[in-house]
This record gives sequence, structure tokens and C-alpha cells, in this order.
Amino acid sequence: MLRYYAWLAARSLKRNPALTALMVLAIGLGIGASITTLTVLHILSGDPIPEKSARLFYPQIDPRTINDYHPGEAPAEQVTYPDGMNLLQAKRADRQALMTGGGAVVLPDDAAIDPFSVDARYTTADFFAMFDAPFQYGSGWKAADDDAHARDVVITRSLNKKVFGGGNSVGKTLRLQSTDFRVVGVLDDWRPTPHFYDLNSARYSDYEEVFLPLSTAMELEFGRNGSMDCWDNTPDGDQLHSPNCSWLQFWVELDTPEKAKAYQAFLNNYSDEQRSQGRFPRPNNVRLPTVMQWLDDQKVVPTDVRLQVWLSFGFLAVCLVNTIGLMLAKFLRRNGEIAVRRAIGAPRREIFAQFLVEAGAVAGAVLGLLLALFGLWGVRQQAADYAELAHIDPTMLLMTLLLALATALLSGLLPAWRACQVTPALQLKSD
Amino acid sequence: MDIAPIIAALKRQKTAAALIAIEIALSCAIICNVLFLITHRLERSHVPSGVVEDELVYIRTAGIGASGGDDPMVRAREDRAALASIPGVKSATIINQIPFGHSSWNTGVKLAADQQQTSANVGAYYADEHMLDSFGVKLIAGRQFTSDEFLNFDDVLKGKSDPPSSMIITKTLARRLFGDENAIGKNIYLDDTKPTRVIGIVEHLIRPNFGSDLIDADSSMILPVRLSLGYGQFVLRTDPGNRDAVIAAARKKLKEVSPNRIVLDAKTLESARSDYFKQDRVMAGLLVAVVISLLIVTALGIVGLASFWVQRRRRQIGIRRALGATRRQILHYFQTENFLIVTVGIVIGMGAAYAISGWLMHQYELPRLPLYYLPVGAVALWLLGQLSVLAPALRAASVPPATATRTV
Amino acid sequence: MLKMTHLAKAFRTEVVETYALRDFSIHVRTGEFVAVTGPSGSGKTTFLNIAGLLETPTGGSYELDGEDVSRLGDDARSRIRNGKIGFIFQAFNLIPDLNIYDNVDVPLRYRKMSGAERKKRIGEALERVGLSARLRHYPAELSGGQQQRVAIARALAGSPKLLLADEPTGNLDSQMARAVMQLLEEIHRDGATIVMVTHDPELAARAQRNVHVIDGQVVDLGEAPTLRMNVAANA
Ligand SMILES: Nc1ncnc2c1ncn2[C@@H]1O[C@H](COP(=O)(O)OP(=O)(O)O)[C@@H](O)[C@H]1O
Ligand SMILES: [Mg+2]
Repeated sequence: MLRYYAWLAARSLKRNPALTALMVLAIGLGIGASITTLTVLHILSGDPIPEKSARLFYPQIDPRTINDYHPGEAPAEQVTYPDGMNLLQAKRADRQALMTGGGAVVLPDDAAIDPFSVDARYTTADFFAMFDAPFQYGSGWKAADDDAHARDVVITRSLNKKVFGGGNSVGKTLRLQSTDFRVVGVLDDWRPTPHFYDLNSARYSDYEEVFLPLSTAMELEFGRNGSMDCWDNTPDGDQLHSPNCSWLQFWVELDTPEKAKAYQAFLNNYSDEQRSQGRFPRPNNVRLPTVMQWLDDQKVVPTDVRLQVWLSFGFLAVCLVNTIGLMLAKFLRRNGEIAVRRAIGAPRREIFAQFLVEAGAVAGAVLGLLLALFGLWGVRQQAADYAELAHIDPTMLLMTLLLALATALLSGLLPAWRACQVTPALQLKSD
Repeated sequence: MDIAPIIAALKRQKTAAALIAIEIALSCAIICNVLFLITHRLERSHVPSGVVEDELVYIRTAGIGASGGDDPMVRAREDRAALASIPGVKSATIINQIPFGHSSWNTGVKLAADQQQTSANVGAYYADEHMLDSFGVKLIAGRQFTSDEFLNFDDVLKGKSDPPSSMIITKTLARRLFGDENAIGKNIYLDDTKPTRVIGIVEHLIRPNFGSDLIDADSSMILPVRLSLGYGQFVLRTDPGNRDAVIAAARKKLKEVSPNRIVLDAKTLESARSDYFKQDRVMAGLLVAVVISLLIVTALGIVGLASFWVQRRRRQIGIRRALGATRRQILHYFQTENFLIVTVGIVIGMGAAYAISGWLMHQYELPRLPLYYLPVGAVALWLLGQLSVLAPALRAASVPPATATRTV
Repeated sequence: MLKMTHLAKAFRTEVVETYALRDFSIHVRTGEFVAVTGPSGSGKTTFLNIAGLLETPTGGSYELDGEDVSRLGDDARSRIRNGKIGFIFQAFNLIPDLNIYDNVDVPLRYRKMSGAERKKRIGEALERVGLSARLRHYPAELSGGQQQRVAIARALAGSPKLLLADEPTGNLDSQMARAVMQLLEEIHRDGATIVMVTHDPELAARAQRNVHVIDGQVVDLGEAPTLRMNVAANA
């Protein structure tokens, strides 16, 4: 029976090619737009480190002055150097790392390559293990190297290629600013998206290419990137070491919920202790968000992207209504046919099935898919720094199919229902 | 044209008519808001910066390493002088931030030393004596800085000096802090020690990072603080046609005088603005595409449905013609019918547009949809409806009257 | 009332040109009741269409109510159809989207007639066909005979001088057919000129005059003798 309906549908669709094209195009366009924007949203709001995002926490404390204090507001977004070092050295978590973004100039040995600047991350040793950064060669540095202000550097695969032509470069020397660093590790391709551990820099592009110990970078006065919030004067002008300027990101790994609870208590204790020493004038304000909570809190997904999703679904709604109208008109024009079919003995549900099949699910689906691909191609041409991330993955592929099927069926539902309401008659009275 | 019989006939075609009305309503609601979003974006991207954008180029540099014993303060002034001496350069300055630039310096200011809450968060430009000339900002009241007012940034940072004794602020900030009072001579506190006196007001000076609030965007102050190289970038003023040549010359010059620094960026300020608003432009383009697609889909929908309607009612039209209706009357019948349906759609759509606008306000901190967008959207859709129905209606008008007797 | 001389109507398709009417001449006087008979495809409907200004002849001349109408423009013909001619079709041709009242209203709507006047006429017309009780019904809810009576009411409402009926009883059983015929005869008595195409010899016999059409030509102008006196009385 289904084959018969498919045949009838094909005939009917062929009889009105312009109308068929219009319906398929409208559904396809709506679905294409929706899937495209959904894909972008999906990617941008994705989990950057799915295996352990629930075990990684971003401790927040509030060392700011009582000025501009509003009860209930979020604690400071970053930590000061003294607090960061205290928390780091307390070693109360399974792993912990204190870090900031920065920039440095690479002076290649090869005179043919001009000096160029790269984005850098100054961090402590646990960074790589904590964030599951994959190494192509070598490894990160040790905690002892942090203390020793070691001239160690981890570079990315792409920088390795650019400066050393690829291959195992562990042990080679990389000149940054005017200091020689020893390459201890080369990272494999690694791009957690978004750039969750530091949301100051571009969130979806421009990833750092060199990683070096925070202590070393501070000793050599390497330039830092990011934001700094100072709430009080710095006696000697040294903002970096000031207890009144927050500018570092501090992350911890806590492997069980109990540990997380304990760490929260620890942060409260720490705040109390600091207050007893004359700091932390505000009431305790401690938070311990996980990666996803932190991203959510920071509203990391561009609002434009959400707006685009809403827009595309609005557009899809218009296309849907449009198609319902066209199908209805098309089906009801065949009143005579339906009446005769019913007179010959077709039950209601058969008529319903016949017209639902015609709802052109397949055509809509296929076209939607094509347009989705096309739309993504369009997004890639965009200016945004997340454009290069957009690609279609299996979930989205499935989603496209389902959405297309749902849309086509939905648009056929009302018309088919109306069609099956036609009363049987061998001859029409009039129309 | 009498609309009573049209309405009577429409009542028998409720579903189809309702579908067109819904489609129109949805389109109307979306289009009104999207048009507003587009103008909002474009408005934002045309916000005045207050500087002579087409005459400026900026240069960001980074030190390669040990400054070689050079005092960065001295180095900065020498480099600036070298750049100012390039032929075609009218003026050069070292500044901590530029409009549409990457870094931004912001400070909370107060109107009294013991005030607990800050009065406003303000973009802070740390300027040397060449800044006003180089930027071409328009001083509309008060005076420029005198040379004895300038401080060195290192001293300020290290707390070796008091806050600057004077500052210049934008008209917008003056109004924000002091309302209609004359801001010149008023005191502003940058910390809780000593006040800084307002000595001048500039027309506009936009801060580098801003959101959709354009008042906040124009809340800037200029402080007489000379920067050292680590914190500053160069801004050169030249003739618009000279900018590329000046950029090339500046690169060469810096290589000569400061071999241990590299140039990170050397661009025109216009390109900085263009980069800054790239996302807005892309979004505006996308929105325009949405409006056009919506109009096309809606129009095609009306054409399609109206055509079917006409086809379905061929016989009916034939009967009407047989009974004496003129072509014009048939044409008008369909046009009026379309007008009625579209009107219903528009009425619903306007309500929806307003509701969506409320939601957008809430979600995306957008201003309320100005009411005049509604009639604009309505007229657009009426035109669209009439345009779309014309062809089917003409086809209806050309149905021969004999259809009444010939069709079985 | 209606005078056709040497009228021709050709239908052109891509391949052939068929003459539906050829050298067709007929004169129907005011107040006459003419029955047109003939085999299927002989051109009866074509004749009625041209008589009712639904189609234009390809040759010859046509005078209606003393006016040459064969060269009139579309708007003028619409006006005449609306003002002078009433139609009754085999398939009733009511508008399914409109109820009985609104259906009868249709021709009146195309005249600039006051609402009260329209209401009065519709009421009278429906009264006359005996359907006053069913104003709010839709055509699909009526039997064939009732539908045809609505169609007649619609034709009557405009008080046409010329009533054209194309097999008005073709879709009806004989009892209903007789009722419709009776109605037509009443209308005729009130002064309307009627031209009716029919297959039913019994009905044809009740007309004043019979016109036979074969192959697009009038072949026989047999007059029904029994009714002649009537014509004379009316004339
Ligand atoms: N639209 C048309 N196109 C071509 N031929 C037509 C058309 N209408 C009628 N005819 C032809 O004209 C002839 C007369 O038709 P008609 O007047 O309808 O006959 P009837 O006497 O049965 O009413 C027939 O041969 C028919 O095929
Ligand atoms: Mg016929």
C-alpha cells in the first residue's frame, strides 16, 4: 500500500512541479537555517573537556574592599597573586594550577624566519595533567621546576612545525624575548572549545602556542594578556604581586563530590583566616563552579548565536505555515478524487495515509540536509572567531533528518486530516 | 467593493484563510523586530568616536627582551619623536589605548573622597601633551593641559605621586556626573586621596570596549600621564591619502631607532573600526537575508495559495461572470479578499511583534521596539500581499464566463 | 428579443477547427417560450452561451433586445448579462461557499442596488420557488431539485427579460423536473422570454415553439400548435 501511495504522491507532486518545488524549498530553507544555527550553538555551548568537566572546578573567593559592595553579587572573577600562591601551595585538591595568558616574541635560530609574537600561557606544572593535554613528544615540567624558575617550555605541534620543522624537538632550545628556553614537551593537536580555562582572550580562536612556568615568566617580566581588576592602591606599584589586584586564573581538580565539599569549606576557612589578618573586608563569598557552570555563568555563548537560533526557528515556523497552506489547497482541490475513493471503499485512515505520504517527507529531508551543509559553508565565510569550528557531526546529521521528517509530516498533518474528512460520493453535487 | 459577501465566503474557507493570516502575522512580527535589530546594529557601528578616524594610524610594538639598559620612559619619548619626524606626519602621541582597540583601561570615579559606591565606570586615556592634537578630539569647553600638569606613569603606578591634578572629560560623562551644571572646575576622585579637577570638555571620545549602551560608550576621561613603552602604543596623524606611506615609513623608522622591538600591528584606525564592528555587520547582513527570505517565502506562499484558490473557484468565478460580474469586479474581489486576510494577519502580527520585542528586551538588553516600526511593517506586508495576489487575481479575472456551462 | 443571423462559432484547437455553430439563424420574439432540442454535441449549449453573451460568435450578427451585441466589449456584455439575462444551468452552478440567501444575492451584488431592495428581491425570489425556510442552508445541504430552484430564484431575483436554461431538468428525476417546468411556465406567464434546452420531449412539447439543432444548424422551426394562442395573447 505504501508503495502505491508513494507512486500516487510522486504523480501528484510531478503534476505541480512549481508548487512542489516551492514547498520543498520552503521547508528545506527553514530547516537549513535552523540546523545551521543549531550546529553553531551546539558547538559553542559544547563541553570543552567532556571526560572531566564535572571534576574541574574554578574556585572563587572575594578579597575586594567594602567599597562598591552589593550583597549577593558574584565574587571576584580571578585571584590575586598572593591568594593564588596560597591556594596553590595548600595543595588541598587532587591537582591545581595557577595561570595567566601572555605574549612573547619568538626569535628563531633560522635567520630566514623573522621574529614573531605568539600567545603564551604562564602556568604551574599540574596544568597539563589536569586538563588532559595530549603530548606528541616529551611532557610538561615538574612542580620543582616551578620553584626553580626553570627555563622550560612546552610548545604546540604547529609551532614545532614552524620553528623546528616538526619532529621530536624535546631538548632543543627556543629563544623567547631574549632568554633561551629548553623545549620539554610538544603538545599534540589540542583545542578545548571554548577556551574555558581563560575566558579573557578570544574564546574560540587564537589559542596559545607556548606554555612556560608562571614563576619564570614573572621573573623575566614577560608581558601578560587578560584583564586585571585593582580595587585599592598598590604601595610599591607592583600590581602583579599586589594583594589588591586580581588577574590570575586558578583551577583545581577534585575527584569526588566529598572532596569538592571539603574544598568549599577550605575556601571559607581561608577567607576567615585572611579576614583575621586584616584582609577580605567583605562577608565570605565563596563559589566553586564546575567547568560548565563557569561557562554558563560567564555567558560564554555569544548572544548573537542564540538570537540566530531563535530567528531561524521563527523562519522555519513561517515556512511550515506556508507549506501547510499550500498542501491544504493542493489536497482539497482533489475533493472529487477523495470522494470517489471513499465511495469505492477507502477507509478514512487510508486517505490520511495516502496524503501524509505525499507530505513529501523525503524530499524535504534531503534538501534540508543539502541546505544545512550549504549553510555551514556560509558560516565558515563569516568573520566570527568561531567560524572555523563549524562542521557537521553525526548528531547534527541525525537531527537534520528528524527535523526534516517532523516538519514535513507536521505540515502534512492538518491537510491530510482535512482530506480524510471529505464525505464519500460518486458524483459531486457542485463545486 | 462590498466586503460582506467576501467575508461570508471566507468563513467557509476558514482554514486556508487562517493559514495565510498566521503566516502574515509571523512574518510581520519577525520582520518588524528584525528591521529594528538591523537599524540598531547599524546605528551602533556608526557611533562617533570623537577622533579624526580617517587621518590616524596606530602602531603597537613589543620588546624582544632586555631593554639594554635603556630607560623605557626615555626610549618611549625618543621613539615618538622619531615617528613624529616622518615626513607627512602631522602629530604623534603615545597612548595607553585607542578607540576600537584591543586593550582598555577603566576606572571607577567618585565625586567625594569618602563615597562608598563609585559614581561611574569611566574609560581612562593616559595622554601626553601631543594627544589632543594627534587624536583631533574637539575641545568644546575649558583648556588643554599645561606642561607642568603631566605626571609619569611609573610614578603614578608606584604611588610616588598624587593622582593627576587635572583631567579632560567627554560631554557625555560631564552630563552623567554633573547634569546640567558646568563641569569645568568640578572635582572628581580617582581614589580616596586627592581630587582631580575637570579643566576641559571634549565633544566625544569613545572608550575601546563598549556594549549596546552608547552613553556608557562615550564616558571617557583624559588624564595627563606620560606612558612608558611597555604600556603604550603610538598613534600618528597624517593626511588620509598618506596613511599607507606613513605606515611603511614608521615600520622602517622603528627598526632603525628601536632594533630590539618588533611591530605587532601597524594599521589605520578605520580598519580598527571596521574590525571592531565586523560581527555587527555580518549579523546585520544575516538579518537582511532573513527579512528578504521571509518576504520571498511569504510572497510565494500567497501566490501559491491564491493560485490554487483561483483554480478551485474557477467555476464559481465563471458563474459570477455569467451572472454579470465584470473582470474588474473579479479582480477586486480577490484583491479585497487578500487585503482582508493580510489585515487580520497584520493585526495579530503587531501584537506578536510587541510581545517578541518585550522578550528581546529582557533577553538581549535591547531597547523597546519603537512604535513606528509597526505601521512600516504593516504597509510592507500589505504591499507584499497585493503584489503577490495580483497575478492570481488577474488569472481569475480572465476566467471566461462560459466556464459556468462548460465545466462539469 | 433575440435575433441571430448567419451566426458562426468555431472552436480552434492546435489540430482542428470545429464549427459548433454554422450559419445559425434564429429569431425569438419577446415573451416567447422556446424549447431547443437536438442530439448531444449539436451546438445547443454553444447557442445558449452566445445568446447569453458568455461567448462571442466568430461570424454573423446577434441582436439582443434591439441592440447589436456581437461586437460589444467584455464590460458591456457583463452589464447586459447582469441586467437582462437570467441563467439556469443543468449542474445548478450554485456557489458552494455561499448559503442560499447569499447565492441569490450574487447577481444583485453586481448592481448598485440598496441593501433593502436586495433583501426584498431575494425574499420574493425565494418565496416564489418555495425555499424561504432555507435561507441559511448551503448548497451541499440541499437536494438537486431544491438546488435548481435556488438557481431559478437567483435568475429571477434580477428580474431578467430573457431567461436561458440549459437542460435545467437534466439532473433531476421526472417529478422534480415537472415542478421546475411548472415554475418556468409561471415565470413565462409573468412576461419573461425563455429559451430552454432540453432532451425531454414531454417538456419540449409544453413550450410554445420548438427549435431543433443538428450539427450546429437550425433545421426545424416546428411550433407547438397548442400554445400558439397563448403567444398571440401575450404579444
Ligand atoms: N471549448 C471547446 N473547444 C472545442 N470544442 C468545443 C468546445 N466547446 C464545445 N465544443 C464543441 O462544440 C460542439 C457543440 O458543443 P455543445 O454546444 O456543448 O453541444 P450540446 O448540444 O451537447 O450542448 C461539440 O462538438 C463540442 O465538442
Ligand atoms: Mg450541452
